[in-house]
Amino acid sequence: MKFSPHFLGIFTNIYGSYDAMDIPKALLVALVGFLTVIAVLAIIALFIKFIAFIFSVIEKKNASKVTPVITPINSTPSVPQTNGVALPDNESQGQLELIGVDEATAAMLMALVSYKTEIPLNRLAFRSIRLVEEENK
Amino acid sequence: MELITNLLAGLWDASGFALLTWQNGVMIGVSVVFLYLAIAKKFEPLLLVPIAFGILLANLPGSGIMDDLTLNQAFGGDPATAVEGSHWYDSGVLRIIYAGVKSSIFPCLIFLGVGAMTDFGPLLSNPISLLLGAAAQLGIYVAFIIAILLGFTPQEAAAISIIGGADGPTAIWLTGKLASHLLAPIALAAYSYMALIPLIQPPIMKLLTTKKEREVKMTQLRKVSKTEKIVFPVVVLVLIALILPSVVPLLGMLMLGNLFRECGVVERLSDTAQNALNNIIVILLGVTVGATANGESFLKAQTLGIVALGLTAFIFSTVGGVLLGKVLYIVTKGKINPLIGAAGVSAVPMAARVAQNEGRKYNPTNFLLMHAMGPNVAGVIGSAVAAGFLLLMFQN
Repeated sequence: MKFSPHFLGIFTNIYGSYDAMDIPKALLVALVGFLTVIAVLAIIALFIKFIAFIFSVIEKKNASKVTPVITPINSTPSVPQTNGVALPDNESQGQLELIGVDEATAAMLMALVSYKTEIPLNRLAFRSIRLVEEENK
Repeated sequence: MELITNLLAGLWDASGFALLTWQNGVMIGVSVVFLYLAIAKKFEPLLLVPIAFGILLANLPGSGIMDDLTLNQAFGGDPATAVEGSHWYDSGVLRIIYAGVKSSIFPCLIFLGVGAMTDFGPLLSNPISLLLGAAAQLGIYVAFIIAILLGFTPQEAAAISIIGGADGPTAIWLTGKLASHLLAPIALAAYSYMALIPLIQPPIMKLLTTKKEREVKMTQLRKVSKTEKIVFPVVVLVLIALILPSVVPLLGMLMLGNLFRECGVVERLSDTAQNALNNIIVILLGVTVGATANGESFLKAQTLGIVALGLTAFIFSTVGGVLLGKVLYIVTKGKINPLIGAAGVSAVPMAARVAQNEGRKYNPTNFLLMHAMGPNVAGVIGSAVAAGFLLLMFQN
């Protein structure tokens, strides 16, 4: 079994004894110590930047690989065949019928559904958006 | 009649009144002040109540609650209390529990809990926070130089200076290894200053920043993915351990706790580390650290020096963080509020809360807490790295 070696303090190794400590050496130790902390934390900061970059690249690759899944809903004729090519990020599939709803409201509803379901808009197929008016009781 | 007189005299001699010294009286007064600050002023009550009560217990004369009766002083007590033929379990109950402090078990387990409670998200979304956490270790090195000037040995100076890291477990861990005879004043100073952060930091923050700087609203942080949060503790631990192996006991436990939190498959372990285990260790650590403050050994000129050096370290650490915050304010053209630099001292989350409260004083719509949490958790890593460096430099 291999044990960790026991090191004496670096200061003793260099100067032979702790008695050798004086103000110039204390200043030097303090400077090196402070720079060490800054250097280690700066290395971690660079590492975080690096992994953030790697993850953003992976996410972009995954997004571009996405093939649209077209689920026929009651043999929907309005959903176009995209031949495996992804639609632009801001477009949804199929022809949408708006009944009593203006385009701005429909766009907002589609964005909400995409956000809540965490499914990109270009993978969602909307057939119709209909205004349902409640009768006054 | 003589029998009754002798009996009464014996009872008097064995009572606390006869054994009470003025030092015990002063320390009981100190414990009452700490209890008042914790209960009435709510200064870090979770720490200050057990510490204050520990001081009270240790200064009730004749209880023997902190006596180490073992001949080899297994629990790090005073050789004067050793009794031949005693077993380890004959020692005072708090002295036996104190073995957890001497052996570094308690500081490391506290770090496990801190890791499980820490969200590194703000740090990952704004890595520049790490530099603020590094700058806020300035006080450690300023205090080290002053301690050497005052005639402390290098090991004592290193242990005293770590108070500037504003991290109780780290201070106890390093002091236990380099200058265990100073554990009581250093631990008390470290925890007391952490509790007093809301009083110490705001004047310095105000002094070093302009009104315009304090009013800066920072932009929303980027969303950090779960995978990044899982990868971070493992890789950072390996990275730091390769640079400074001495810091592995502390950072290893911190990162293990954080992995429990982030991996999402050991919720029970995460919950235990954050709550039950952490609370148990806080009680044991707080009471036993407080109990080391016995009047006779504590009330010395040296203790006052340590308390003063600790305050100096704390002030310079805050200054370091705020000054780098000002530099970043200029570099980023006003996108960083320098107040968050003060949170680089690692007292989590108290220092971040102070930054938040100060920010809101000058801009009620400002919400700096999450931005300040970045430097705050970076400070935990920074102070552990500083402690690892000092241990590597001066270990026996």
